[in-house]
Amino acid sequence: MVIGLFSLVGCSESLPDYTLRFGLANAPTNLDPRYATDATSARLNRLLYSRLVDFGEGTIPIPALATWRELSPTHYQFDLQEPRPLFHNGAQLSAYDVKATYDSILNPDTASPHRGILQIIARIDTPTENTVDFFLKQPDALFPGYLVIGILPANLIANGHPFHDHPMGSGPFQFLERPDDTRLIIERRADGQRVEFVRIPDPTVRTLKLLANEIHLVQNDLPPELVTYLSAHEGITLQQRQGANFAYLGFNQLDPVVGQELVRKAIAHAIDREHIIQFVLKGRARVAQALFPPEHWAGPASLPGYTYDPAEAKRLLKEAGFDHDHRPTITYKTSTDPFRLRLATIIQYQLDQVGIDVLIQSHDWGTFYGDIKSGRFQMYSLAWVGVKSPDIFRYAFHSDATPPVGANRGHYADALADRLMTQAEQTLNTQEQQTLYRTLQARLLDTLPYVPLWFEDHYALVSTTFTGYQLSADGNFDGLNQVRWLGSPSAPPKHITRLYP
Amino acid sequence: MRLWLPLSIVASWAFLAIFLPLFSLTPDAIDLTNILSPPSLEHWLGHDDLGRPVADRLISGAQTSFFVSLCVVALGVSLGGILGVSSAYLSGWVDAVFVRMVDIMLAFPGLLLAIALAGALGPGIGNVILALGIVGWVGYARLARGQVLALKHADHVLAAQAIGAPPWRIILRHLLPLIMAPLIVEASFGIAGAIIAEAGLSFLGLGVQPPAASWGSMIRDGTRYMLVAPHLVIFPGLTLMAVVLAANMLGDWLRDRLDVKEQSSRRKS
Repeated sequence: MVIGLFSLVGCSESLPDYTLRFGLANAPTNLDPRYATDATSARLNRLLYSRLVDFGEGTIPIPALATWRELSPTHYQFDLQEPRPLFHNGAQLSAYDVKATYDSILNPDTASPHRGILQIIARIDTPTENTVDFFLKQPDALFPGYLVIGILPANLIANGHPFHDHPMGSGPFQFLERPDDTRLIIERRADGQRVEFVRIPDPTVRTLKLLANEIHLVQNDLPPELVTYLSAHEGITLQQRQGANFAYLGFNQLDPVVGQELVRKAIAHAIDREHIIQFVLKGRARVAQALFPPEHWAGPASLPGYTYDPAEAKRLLKEAGFDHDHRPTITYKTSTDPFRLRLATIIQYQLDQVGIDVLIQSHDWGTFYGDIKSGRFQMYSLAWVGVKSPDIFRYAFHSDATPPVGANRGHYADALADRLMTQAEQTLNTQEQQTLYRTLQARLLDTLPYVPLWFEDHYALVSTTFTGYQLSADGNFDGLNQVRWLGSPSAPPKHITRLYP
Repeated sequence: MRLWLPLSIVASWAFLAIFLPLFSLTPDAIDLTNILSPPSLEHWLGHDDLGRPVADRLISGAQTSFFVSLCVVALGVSLGGILGVSSAYLSGWVDAVFVRMVDIMLAFPGLLLAIALAGALGPGIGNVILALGIVGWVGYARLARGQVLALKHADHVLAAQAIGAPPWRIILRHLLPLIMAPLIVEASFGIAGAIIAEAGLSFLGLGVQPPAASWGSMIRDGTRYMLVAPHLVIFPGLTLMAVVLAANMLGDWLRDRLDVKEQSSRRKS
């Protein structure tokens, strides 16, 4: 019996677990880059697939898989850089895969949500297996920045491979398994380091699991108080970077109340953004005046903005025909996310102080987003996440871009703004384009289709069991390319049997 | 003597709920500089995640729970009472249909059905009352039916029928007064149940909408800050527990007082 007990003890002794566990608030919805639109899927797909173009400092497009030349305003040639990467099945990526991927997106039967912007492509040619020629229907100086979608193998596209379930790319990580809806395991091709993404919707549970070292990394989506709480713990390090996700209040321009510019300006003056950032967001954000931050090449260096001025807000409301006895009532739609609801309650209170009654309606994400997309709102709060290219302006503000064509959900119509967008798109001079986009953003700030709120910072809380994780500027997960288990600085984990070239 | 504590808790709860407008409370006043501040001498229950005073919100939440529980119980007693008494008195196919209907209602778990109803009707205090009322009438109806079935062949009812009294008069004058006692006892337990159910629905976001306060929504909001500000969960949790316990103890006491059989057995002993 004693021998039996000893043998049991021997069996229970296990090797350290080298897998990095990454706690996520939301699971990725689609691992096929042709369909993925949510932030988590896009960030994960960056690890699994490689793309032609990426974004560098100042959010300027830079070569990733390929360098490019503009042979004419409607003809771009992309040369794949050597050595070309291998897909996870061993095949080498070629120009034919690039063509097949973009042809597939452009095929209406694929019903890709990314098709809209890429419809500018007239034809794709592949003169050699290293070269891809894109011919456009009309000149567009921003075109290279549109080619950021992960490349899929041509033969698997032809066979209808289920990429959403079994992704097959040429990125630095390869898919291992997805045991259930809450877990996804991938493996780094260079050294076999495994990363398991675990969906833990509740922020308190995520916090407790990080404290217990059951997960090793959490990025964003935590109440600011818990970030401060966790960062004070030994064994956890906090990384923080300025972000560019633009939070705003949107309005229905067809509404008799918020359709009035004076009311929107009153709202802009009634919200104390500095105070909210200081006390609620714990300083992890900066005030926004435009959709792009100043460091973006098309972002305005400085705009006058709307200062917190309740007296001015009251004056504007009076000018719009409202007073103490005749207060405007606004329905404010937001998601059921507790933190968004908390911010909505603060905005409700601050608007109440200047004489605007606000009724908050919180719905689950699907219902809320559906309502916003179909224009069923008076006022709502949302954020543009991961926006890098100025084509967003046409998509979100042009009078022709009302749903379902674009995302001008509030039916904003301004002749000057439309003209500025068209001029900016037609010019091929980057300097001129920059000036036009900056003028456009000043115009948008003046007419207020959105009341800009803030750019929230990105932060990551990393267990000291792992090292090397670097938080990226746009909050993607690329830092996992360098992360390593602290216990084995040089040797690869013992479970690894296969190394990749 | 064991009565004074639950009685004083329930009385304070009712007093605060009824006379809330007399107090100069600021349950919705947001003060961002006081976010999650712990209890202090000045603010003895601290502030919540928006810098609102927890004490003021607890009192405001008392009004919500009082109003909801009274409305739910009133709705349940009147609806259940009318249906139960009519069914038992009319008997025949009416009673058969009624019993099947009650069986169907009882087949659903009560709170789950209320969640489904509140979800379908949409969030809001009015819909919470409606959902809990629709779920809650069954118990009162069964009780009323059982009591009337036992009483409808009593001598005084037969005598009233013999002298040609109309059914409504017999129900109102000869049956209802006799079944009121058990219904009141059931209602007193119903109040405790309704407080918990309202808190549960508000906890799930189906109850009061921001910025209105409810104990359930206060606990829900507080759970997110349990690690950094436990007072947000502790105070509403303790209050909810105290009021529900007190309401149940009063119900127990009422049952003992109004139960004729128990009283007579006590006298004999």
